[in-house]
Amino acid sequence: MPQIDEFSDAQLVTSIARYSEVALAEVYRRHGGAVYGLAKRVLHNPAEAEDVTQEVFLRLWNQPDRFDAARGSLRSFLLAQAHGRAVDAVRSSSSRRLREARDAVRTAEAGYDLQHEVWDLAVADQVTRAMGELPEEERRAIELAYFDGHTYREVALLLDQPEGTVKSRIRNGMRRMRAVLTDAGVRGVDA
Amino acid sequence: MSHGEAVELLGAYALDAVDGDEFTQLEEHLATCPRCRAELDGLREVAAAMGNSVEPLPEGLWSNIASRLPERQPDEEPPAMPQLAPEGRSPFRAPPDGRRRPRRSAMTTIGALAVAAAAVAVVLGISLVRADNKVSDLQASAASSSSAVTTALRTPGHRVVDLDSSSHAALARVVVVPSGQGYLVSSNLPALGQGRTYQLWAIEGKRPISLGLLGGAPRQAGFTMAGSTRPSHLSITAEPTGGSVVPTGPIVATGSV
Repeated sequence: MPQIDEFSDAQLVTSIARYSEVALAEVYRRHGGAVYGLAKRVLHNPAEAEDVTQEVFLRLWNQPDRFDAARGSLRSFLLAQAHGRAVDAVRSSSSRRLREARDAVRTAEAGYDLQHEVWDLAVADQVTRAMGELPEEERRAIELAYFDGHTYREVALLLDQPEGTVKSRIRNGMRRMRAVLTDAGVRGVDA
Repeated sequence: MSHGEAVELLGAYALDAVDGDEFTQLEEHLATCPRCRAELDGLREVAAAMGNSVEPLPEGLWSNIASRLPERQPDEEPPAMPQLAPEGRSPFRAPPDGRRRPRRSAMTTIGALAVAAAAVAVVLGISLVRADNKVSDLQASAASSSSAVTTALRTPGHRVVDLDSSSHAALARVVVVPSGQGYLVSSNLPALGQGRTYQLWAIEGKRPISLGLLGGAPRQAGFTMAGSTRPSHLSITAEPTGGSVVPTGPIVATGSV
């Protein structure tokens, strides 16, 4: 039997289902920083990001069966959870936020910038490259939706473009990213 | 919602950028469409790759999480743990020579480990301590069911570990059963002053793993080791209330497993 830090993510989740706090702690050690990092990036608020991180790990404790290893990595599962919660929090004050965002968009500089320390530099490199290769309007729509927590309809409003156009741009950009990342051999991205 | 409409929305959905009726309708479609689910899984991985930047974790966040884990009932069976090792290779079996390692090596090791682990903890910003109230409850539950200890002592393959001071005074006795459940069954540990607590550690290979806080005046307590934990020693240190990520206080008592 391997040591806990040699457990696969899937094995850890199985142990969590058996109430192993040590397994939860190990998942937190491996992925907590990413969960917190994404929540903070979307929320711009450390205290709210902590709340989201807590919720994500308590939910994993209470409902470990919601993770399905066949459908993707544990990290992407946890990040999806964190993103959904962070976005919910952001949207609870949405009208004011939208007004502020509209001003911000007018002044925002172009160019994708990974400001944060990144867990896996190789992957980050590929992601930066993949994002950099996207047409500007696709990249912008994806960033506004993902990092600022806007719905695609809000993004359309912010960019003053038709909703259908934004919807397609997000989809095309995401598919393009997937192709680039898959070619680059980024694990877990190939569907 | 038609399949075509759903496919158009999947990118936005993977970014949590769909809401209202569309969200509901898309979820209904996803429930019945494996092709869309497969595409969504791939797009979710892309989203995760974009959001994959790590922040140092705030201190105390793990303690908050750990303290909010639902308590188990005292009478409840200990959780099923992965098997520690195949029969006959119990990690709790005494080493072949059955002798205790020289104390000095244990002390030296834990010191070096603490430094290494502290470095890791700083880099990752991790905090792996239990909240004090959590452990108090463990103590209470162990005390209220000393039959659990009796049961442990009757469990085949159980190990009794005596933890001694550096002057060989017997300070604590621990029983561990092969499932990983353990009990502090008796203690002569002197009561600590305000703001201090005893903390129990499994020393495993390269690192100390916190097993929990014992309080300032321990008597009995229950704890759980992960199925994979194979400590060579159990050690007790004195730490500030709230416990430490890595041992900071002196080793008060230690025993080889």
